[in-house]
Amino acid sequence: MGELFSIGRSLFAASEGGHHGPSYEGLFLYVAIVIAVLFGFLTVAKSGLKDRVFVKWPTQWLEQLYLFIENMCVGIIGAHGRKYVPMIMTFWCLIFVSNIVSLFFPTAPTADLSFNLALALISIGYVQYEGIKANGLFGHLSHFAGPKLGIGLIAITGMIFIIEIISELMKNVSLSLRLFGNIHGGHQAVESMNQLVPYVPMGFFLLPIKLLTCVVQAMIFSLLTCVYLSLVTAHHDDHEHDHDGHGEPAAAH
Amino acid sequence: MAILGLGLMAGGYYISKEVHIGFLEDLAKQGIPLDLGKTISAIGVFLIVLPLLRLFYFNPLGDAITNRTSELENTFSEAESLRQEMQKMKSDYEQRLNATEARAREEIQAQIREAQNMRQSLMAEASAKADEFLKKAQEEIAMEKERVLVDLRLGVVDMTLQATERILGENVDDAKNRKLIQEFIDTAEVKQ
Repeated sequence: MGELFSIGRSLFAASEGGHHGPSYEGLFLYVAIVIAVLFGFLTVAKSGLKDRVFVKWPTQWLEQLYLFIENMCVGIIGAHGRKYVPMIMTFWCLIFVSNIVSLFFPTAPTADLSFNLALALISIGYVQYEGIKANGLFGHLSHFAGPKLGIGLIAITGMIFIIEIISELMKNVSLSLRLFGNIHGGHQAVESMNQLVPYVPMGFFLLPIKLLTCVVQAMIFSLLTCVYLSLVTAHHDDHEHDHDGHGEPAAAH
Repeated sequence: MAILGLGLMAGGYYISKEVHIGFLEDLAKQGIPLDLGKTISAIGVFLIVLPLLRLFYFNPLGDAITNRTSELENTFSEAESLRQEMQKMKSDYEQRLNATEARAREEIQAQIREAQNMRQSLMAEASAKADEFLKKAQEEIAMEKERVLVDLRLGVVDMTLQATERILGENVDDAKNRKLIQEFIDTAEVKQ
């Protein structure tokens, strides 16, 4: 526990312990802080739901966030995207609060590659689960094989399949490394700025861009999850349209 | 899901503390710090947090927004039905107003016609009375003229007798003279 606060640095900190991230206990202490902040904010926001008109600012913010995520889900995934809102909201909230925590504490869960990999694995795993649920196991796997090329080109189909599987695995890497790079890189930039003038937190001037990074990274992760979901459940939406239209082609949106 | 999450957290702790994976140490040396134990535990935490967030916060929020939206839609549809009802009432009132105006116009036209008829009858009556008055006046004039002519004749006879008395110097027999003069006058033509 002694190394709990010795790793990483906040905007105002002056020491750095390396690039290995916090310890197991340290990480989950920060996770607990993130969850406490998140649940506290959501509890305050929820208390405003009783009003006919949401007058509390946390409730208004949460409502706007919910509507934003809902619009994103419906816009990218389709009409059935509304059911993914809680999942995407959870991703957005966890990542955003973790990023905000990284502004005021020496490190944060999203500054740890292991935590980000967990989020990416959950995201991609959930996408695969939804893909299998929408298309069946064989239908979902056949997506990875690309277009039907005929028996003569089966070797190419096999290569496409392998490349797509690798691409799917690399989504985990890209999602986690992007988030880790941005948040951890932000800390590194602050450290470098702080070393320019002794005892003067020059890194403070990076606060606006770090705030922007907090929002953008949460949005990118959520947006990419939506895109991946839309790719594997697109046929599901078509079937629903066909079912609604009794086999007639769906109207263009 | 919560039990699975707790299991993953415990497993992750064990892996992080007890299991050493060679390639992760190589990655750490290259500046990519990765601890699969933390990853597995984080997945466990997510599996615990997600249902809690969904159950206690996101579903109530979604329900509240949906209820509010449906309330708004109901209010709008109610307002729309009221607007349609108002339109209907307005068109009814306009129809009734038009009917009333038409009826009023007919009444006015009927009154005008009646007044015109009355005027014509009054004028005819007045004209008849005027004609009657004119006829009576003409008759009176004629009677008066006759009377004046008789008086004039008598006056002429008297003057003639008086003139004749003066000329002859004697008073002729009144009865005889009168008879002569009367015969003369009767034979004489009166010029009007």
